[in-house]
Amino acid sequence: MASKFWTQSDSGSEEERQSSYDSDPENEEDTPAEPTNTAVGNRYLQQNASDSDDSEEQKRVIRSAKDKRFEEMSATIDQIKNAIKINDWVSLQDSFDKINKQLDKVMRVTESERVPNLYIKALVILEDFLTQALANKDAKKKMSSSNAKALNSMKQKLKKNNKQYEYLISKYREKPESEEVSSEEEDDSDEETVSEPRDDESKVGSDSGSDTDNNIHNRDVHDPDMIKKKDKFMDKEFKKDPRDITWDTVNKKLKEVVAARGRKGTGRVELVEQLSFLTRVAKTPAQKLEILFTVVSAQFDINPGLSGHMPINVWKKCVDNMLAILDILNQYPNIVVNDMVEPDENETQKGADYNGTIRVWGNLIAYLERIDAEFFKSLQCIDPHTKEFVERLRDEPLFLVLAQNVQDYLEKTGNMKAAAKVALKRVELVYYKPQEVYDAMRKLADLSEERDDVESEAEESKWSDEQRAPPSFVVVPEVVPRKPTFPESSRVFMDTLVSLIYKYGDERTKARAMLCDIYHHALLDEFSTSRDLLLMSHLQDNIQIMDISTQILYNRAMAQLGLSAFRNGLFTEGHSCLSELYSAGRVRELIAQGVSQSRYHEKTPEQERLERRRQMPYHMHINLELLEAVHLTCAMLLEVPNMAANTVDSKRRVISKTFRRFFEISERQILMGPPENVRDHVMAATRALSQGDYQKAFDLITSLQVWKLLKNKDAVFQMLKDKIKEEALRTYLFSYATSYSSLALDQLSKMFGLSESTTHSIVNKMMISEELHASWDQPTRCIVFHDVGLSRLQALAFQLTDKLSILAESNERAVETKFGSGLGGGGLDGLPLRRRDAGDYAAAVGSGGGGNRWQDSQSYNQGRQGGSTTGRYGGGGRSFGPGQTSGGGGGYSRDRTGQTRGTSSYGGRHSYQSGSSKMDSSARMVSLSRGIR
Amino acid sequence: MANPPIRSFLQAAKAEEVAPALRVVQMEGLAILKIIKHCKEFSPALVTGQLLGLDVGSVLEVTNCFPFPNREDDEELEAEGANYQLEMMRCLREVNVDNNTVGWYQSTLLGSYQTVELIETFMNYQENIKRCVCIIYDPSKSNQGVLALKALKLSDSFMELYRSNNFRGEKLREKNLTWVGIFEEIPIKFSNSPLISAFMTELEADTPVAQGDLDRLQLSTKPYMERNLEFLMECMDDMSQEQQKFQYHYRNVARQQTQQQAWLQKRRAENMARKAAGEEPLPEEDPSNPIFKPIAEPSRLETFLLTNQISNYCNQINGVAGLSFNRLYLMKALHEN
Repeated sequence: MASKFWTQSDSGSEEERQSSYDSDPENEEDTPAEPTNTAVGNRYLQQNASDSDDSEEQKRVIRSAKDKRFEEMSATIDQIKNAIKINDWVSLQDSFDKINKQLDKVMRVTESERVPNLYIKALVILEDFLTQALANKDAKKKMSSSNAKALNSMKQKLKKNNKQYEYLISKYREKPESEEVSSEEEDDSDEETVSEPRDDESKVGSDSGSDTDNNIHNRDVHDPDMIKKKDKFMDKEFKKDPRDITWDTVNKKLKEVVAARGRKGTGRVELVEQLSFLTRVAKTPAQKLEILFTVVSAQFDINPGLSGHMPINVWKKCVDNMLAILDILNQYPNIVVNDMVEPDENETQKGADYNGTIRVWGNLIAYLERIDAEFFKSLQCIDPHTKEFVERLRDEPLFLVLAQNVQDYLEKTGNMKAAAKVALKRVELVYYKPQEVYDAMRKLADLSEERDDVESEAEESKWSDEQRAPPSFVVVPEVVPRKPTFPESSRVFMDTLVSLIYKYGDERTKARAMLCDIYHHALLDEFSTSRDLLLMSHLQDNIQIMDISTQILYNRAMAQLGLSAFRNGLFTEGHSCLSELYSAGRVRELIAQGVSQSRYHEKTPEQERLERRRQMPYHMHINLELLEAVHLTCAMLLEVPNMAANTVDSKRRVISKTFRRFFEISERQILMGPPENVRDHVMAATRALSQGDYQKAFDLITSLQVWKLLKNKDAVFQMLKDKIKEEALRTYLFSYATSYSSLALDQLSKMFGLSESTTHSIVNKMMISEELHASWDQPTRCIVFHDVGLSRLQALAFQLTDKLSILAESNERAVETKFGSGLGGGGLDGLPLRRRDAGDYAAAVGSGGGGNRWQDSQSYNQGRQGGSTTGRYGGGGRSFGPGQTSGGGGGYSRDRTGQTRGTSSYGGRHSYQSGSSKMDSSARMVSLSRGIR
Repeated sequence: MANPPIRSFLQAAKAEEVAPALRVVQMEGLAILKIIKHCKEFSPALVTGQLLGLDVGSVLEVTNCFPFPNREDDEELEAEGANYQLEMMRCLREVNVDNNTVGWYQSTLLGSYQTVELIETFMNYQENIKRCVCIIYDPSKSNQGVLALKALKLSDSFMELYRSNNFRGEKLREKNLTWVGIFEEIPIKFSNSPLISAFMTELEADTPVAQGDLDRLQLSTKPYMERNLEFLMECMDDMSQEQQKFQYHYRNVARQQTQQQAWLQKRRAENMARKAAGEEPLPEEDPSNPIFKPIAEPSRLETFLLTNQISNYCNQINGVAGLSFNRLYLMKALHEN
């Protein structure tokens, strides 16, 4: 099979070669060498056996296209040669244009930046002929006018054009024969091509010609780069003599480059390269600074669009540049960076020895934030399960160094507000790291520093070798430390930064820092501290009006707080922290760890994109399964005794709606399989617990795998076990207290494996809170139950009375709404007084809902009970009266109330109102006790 | 149990002309036993059946009955049910049984029969048979030793209102109809043919205490009371909902009134201005204006029915509670002895 394939491809390549050689005008004599050619091809293929099939395929296609282009080009060159022979400048001009166009095509096809030798050769020929023609003045005079015109324009064109290829041309001039030789060598002696790729590679430096078909893909990647850079040096003419470069030239060049930025056809990468070259030749530190700022912003531009992230190497360079900026700023404290004022044109001309302040446009914080954002985005985009992600994470210290330095600088310059912002960036990188991770980061920072040194040195040497770059004129020593310094513990780190922020930051910065602080405290198991911080800051009151990313941070902090409470054995608190996150079933969305699909409404692509941009990178995730397990376990511990306590009216007192729903669903299942996910486990445990089987419940809960993510798991388990026992005891007492007349403490504590004192205290608590109607009989150590627990009938009767009172209230309200105007005029004084204040009667009737309304009706009740019946009936009677339909009555009675209400029974109202609450409660008590009897 | 008064058909026909009001439902022992058997067997599911008999003046004689098959909510089955009914009637005629439909019977759970469905069925029957009746049997109540059998009909004024489907407050006041006046209960009279009576006397056992009497002494009333309370609470909830509807309605009305008022004032002010300018005043009523469109009042039928049910439950609770007290005192006395 394989051999078949090879032979096939062999023949294919052979054919192509053949065709290419046939078409090559220079290689007519090549045909006899064909047999060997196949052999070579074969061997070549074997050499590249690892290449995949389709790459082979692709190459073949390209090759033929390329050959076509080369063919065209050589044809044009022939034309040029002919034109030279007859001294026809007009056709020469045409051919020149043509060959330039062809060059474009060739470059596109070969996908390399290297200019083919063929073209250079043509240029050399043209140039030689041009100088010859120009030198020969007589001949020039003899030329026809059109010819002379063409000659002149050709002269200019060629000059302009050749500037780009000056280097290559000079190379070619040095040893034109080498080109010839190599091309011939390649064409004629194909036996040698086996070693050619390697040959070629070594040759590339000196002889950048010989654009052979076979070795393009073998070439080193930076090869074309290098050539291009060389082109650029030529282009800028800076290479000639470094001393000649003045501030003005650099400034002019900078303006030029900056102007080209953003224009169509300007390569973003090249722009950056040009600018970074300029930094080397900058004359004054201020100028260098200015250029560095442009470099950084150009680097930000490399990646267009919001979704993708900046290439990592660019990011690193960007950070380096920023560090360089800081070096300069620290070295020359008289340079001030500001983005508010447009600085003077020639501000940067002032040299290093200038004493006054030099203003340079730039915004350090904005750049830093952008760098941070890019870092964040790259972490978002990279697949977290790859090595790349880990590598990327290692760049974090790099950023921390930068942030630290920027912060130091800003503090030094007294810009505390900005320093607080930078401090926040640092906080945001650290707050989610537990101590272990923090330590690892510190270690990594130390390590990476060493490694970086070695690497950068190596790189540096390579760099200089390759480029022979001129040393930069303004040499700034590395003033700022390149190595992050971390305090011993992350808490100390956080504290210093956070206190700075609290002191100087603006509202949002402070809020975010506070949340990070809370998160971090919670992470370190300092639940009470973080809870106090949260409560003191009143963040929960106004978090709704903050931006979404802060809200996400808030949710994360709450989640972490819940976990922390759980680890501390504070299950109630843990539940109240987490229940809100789980109430809507969108926890993923709320803490930005994945998108939750909603069945009911589709999201627009715009929304989805926004959401994706908000996602947390993987390393910052809070484990959702753990979160769910904690939430459900807390809910279970609270809900099971609660359910047992309220068997009659279980709907009414629900602690966790989510848990109840899950429980109902699992109850409805006909077949109960072994638990699989977190929810199943907790539900099974719930069932066991409500039957009093605490051991089984505990085993089920602890069999969850996620607990291994929990810090000091064993201690937490111990607490959990105690808590489960307690709740089992409470559940038992709730369920079966009515069946006992007395119960020995020994037995109870034995039943649930609790110590007697614990049992005692639990039972005491239940007695005090009137959950258990019992008392202790000390001598016999028994609980004696008082049979005051409600029977089902009694409980129902209670509910019924509640319902009745609700019904009565709404009845009163209905009456009031219908005859409100009439009553208002008569006996009921509470209403109109309020309404007069409200001014608009309609508004009061129409929209006055809730509490106000309710109060009204209450006072109305009291009024009636108190015995002001006459007035009421008077009012009622009138409204029933035939003439007064409720239509016109409103306005009339409103006017009337405003004026005459005072006379009716004004005094009575006060007395009713003053005693209202007492009367109400007593009335309720009476009715309740009636219900019991 | 009194023997039925003997009447000739002629007399009956004469009475028919006057169309006296239905005074009493006279039931044959056979029909009653069949009803009880059917209802009890299927309890707690609710069942229905057809009553057959004769309409004799102010007395409606129910002489026989047959059950309907348990029907599901299905169109096809309903049609089948009608067929079954006709077939059954034909068969009965062939064996010379009264095959004149006089109404239907149904079982109920704790007397929760006051529903819209019952009214609808009644209206249907009423269309065909001038004088019909519905017998309600409550097996759960009968367990306590009471023969819970009721004969009901809808009151004439209610039927009239129902036909016009108008249950607004004014109309009800006009008709002077309250929730009490929806259903009329008709006394039931049992009758057996003398032959049967004689046979029964022959069969009667010597022991003076019957099963029913023993049931009556049952002390446990709890489940029954609880059920009643639960139902009562459900009714309360429904009632609250109904009330909210009304409240909502009144609120809307009030809003509308203020709107109207504002509009009228504006119009009046405008008219004053026009008068001053010597122009014709605009009419003060504008029927085309949407704010003058009367808002439909919600129907009170549901409320009435609910009230009926509530009163029914209350009566039951009352009755059972009273009886249980008696029993408890009796027990206490026995214990003391």
